[in-house]
Amino acid sequence: MKQFVLKKDNVRDLCIAACGEWETYVPVESAGRDVHFLKIEDENKESLLDKLALDYEYTVVPPKILAFPQLESLFEFGEQKIAETAKPSAKRFLFGLRACDVKAILFLDDFYRRNFEDIYYLNKSNNKLLVIVGCKKPLENCFCTSARTGPFLQKGFDLQLVDVGDEYVVEAGSKKGEEFVNSYKKFFDKVSKDDVENSKITKRVAREAVAIRLDFEKAIKRFCEDKIPTQIYERIAERCIYCGGCLYVCPTCSCFNVFDERKGNFGRRSRNWDACVFEGYTREASGHNPRSEKWIRTSRRYEHKLKYDYLVTGMSGCVGCGRCLTSCPVHIGISQVIEEVSKT
Amino acid sequence: MRNEYIPYPAIIKSIQAESFDTKTFRVVFEDKDLAVNFDYKSGQFMEVSLLGLGEAPISITSSPVQKGFLEFTIRGMGRLTQAILQLNIEDKIHLRGPYGNSFPFEEVKGKNLYFVAGGIGLPPLRSLIQTVFNKRADFGKVKILYGAKTPDMLCFKDELKSWSGIADTEVLLTVDEPDGNWRGNVGVVTGLWDKTDIDGAGGIAYVCGPPIMIKFVIAKLLKSGFKEENIYVTLERYMKCGIGKCGHCNIGEKFVCIDGPVFSYSRLEKFPDKERAIA
Repeated sequence: MKQFVLKKDNVRDLCIAACGEWETYVPVESAGRDVHFLKIEDENKESLLDKLALDYEYTVVPPKILAFPQLESLFEFGEQKIAETAKPSAKRFLFGLRACDVKAILFLDDFYRRNFEDIYYLNKSNNKLLVIVGCKKPLENCFCTSARTGPFLQKGFDLQLVDVGDEYVVEAGSKKGEEFVNSYKKFFDKVSKDDVENSKITKRVAREAVAIRLDFEKAIKRFCEDKIPTQIYERIAERCIYCGGCLYVCPTCSCFNVFDERKGNFGRRSRNWDACVFEGYTREASGHNPRSEKWIRTSRRYEHKLKYDYLVTGMSGCVGCGRCLTSCPVHIGISQVIEEVSKT
Repeated sequence: MRNEYIPYPAIIKSIQAESFDTKTFRVVFEDKDLAVNFDYKSGQFMEVSLLGLGEAPISITSSPVQKGFLEFTIRGMGRLTQAILQLNIEDKIHLRGPYGNSFPFEEVKGKNLYFVAGGIGLPPLRSLIQTVFNKRADFGKVKILYGAKTPDMLCFKDELKSWSGIADTEVLLTVDEPDGNWRGNVGVVTGLWDKTDIDGAGGIAYVCGPPIMIKFVIAKLLKSGFKEENIYVTLERYMKCGIGKCGHCNIGEKFVCIDGPVFSYSRLEKFPDKERAIA
């Protein structure tokens, strides 16, 4: 794997240079301290880059929102005629992603390409450069080492940045990544032996800082054997308020609802995020609902991630980001379920 | 890349009232090429739209042996289907599809076929029944067992009569709530087992109806000697996209929209109990 060095002092100029050619997204701290990936454009680049937050803890909303917006128009219509709104995005430079979120992006890319292609997602996701800035200080709810999704990756990224003090060691994980470095070579330097050694230390320290350790493989095995005691789900069902928040912030959740709006002869069909824990998710017009019971919806929520996703893709649908636990108003997280199941 | 979410306009050419809340619509795509060349298989469904109101998956009631039009039998159940029932001839709807798998057809030639339906469950089977009757000599005995709540709620009343006149074909009807004119069977569809000879050995069964009916019919079929892999059920689920993306119709690792809607009972059996599509 080819390696380079990017001085932290050069990051800002690199982003400005990139946004001339790429639709460039970077993590930016908002007034409320939350971090979001925002597009830098000519008119806002200075003010946004002032708030560039590469050492962010996590983004409340996962980067899936860049290709799968919470609300999206599918098409518009007037006088019974349809006007298509799907059009390909410019090529995208996603700078500052966390390793777990890149795993999730790859997972969703695969999902939206499988069987029928989803043009709205793929238009935004097909042409992109994924740049990881690896986690230095994993959060208390993270468990990426158990899920094997971080804090740094071996492959899947185009570029991966490892913080070694005043500079980043840059690993090129793809030809596309190497080509990017070549086209912006004035911002990059040669890597030294010390840099490489320091990057290994950064990775090790980050790995060891991940506090939650789970027997992920064993839990998945249990799920696949269909040996989960229903009491596990029933206990969660007693506490869960079925708000769906954990699924909105889940970086691999992809369910959506479709709805029409109309004013006079004009209107639009849109889709928005949906969640399988909602009572109406499977309710048919007749009133029949195969998942009317709460604990059955809970079992679906966890078995989808930890059994069915694994059976179909060989990869768990959970990337260990910890967002579900962090966002939950009643302190339920998939890590607790994994831990409990792995001990059965 | 094709945009699967864009539907195509079609015009209603005729409307047949089936019962007080159910109508069969014959529609033709506005686009001439599409109207002529559109192909599908018995068992598949389309996403049917009224722009501004929404979209729902509706099985194709007509048979692909008749080209140039599609038929949908629709019961006014929710907001969208009730609005569709208000439509008139020459009104426009939008369609996309066909989606889903289909009933096994070539593989069952020479076999005895049993169709068991409840209520609005006959329309999806009617497509296959018409396809079978188009090549009647290729199949063994055909028995159609059909139950509805009231005599009025039986779909395709005229066709049921003409089917019973076809060689080696038996049509057995039953209703839960007979009216004064009803002289036929009364009770659930499984009650028809006493009225005819049902031998599952080498037979193929196609089942569609409400979940509770499916459950009891499958028990009867197994008792009559049908092999699990020779019982085919077409499922209904709340669906949005029809193309395996929105997630609503998932059961286990399958999607009813792309892996179904037709499942053999041997496949259904493998679904986790709590997610069984049948009650």
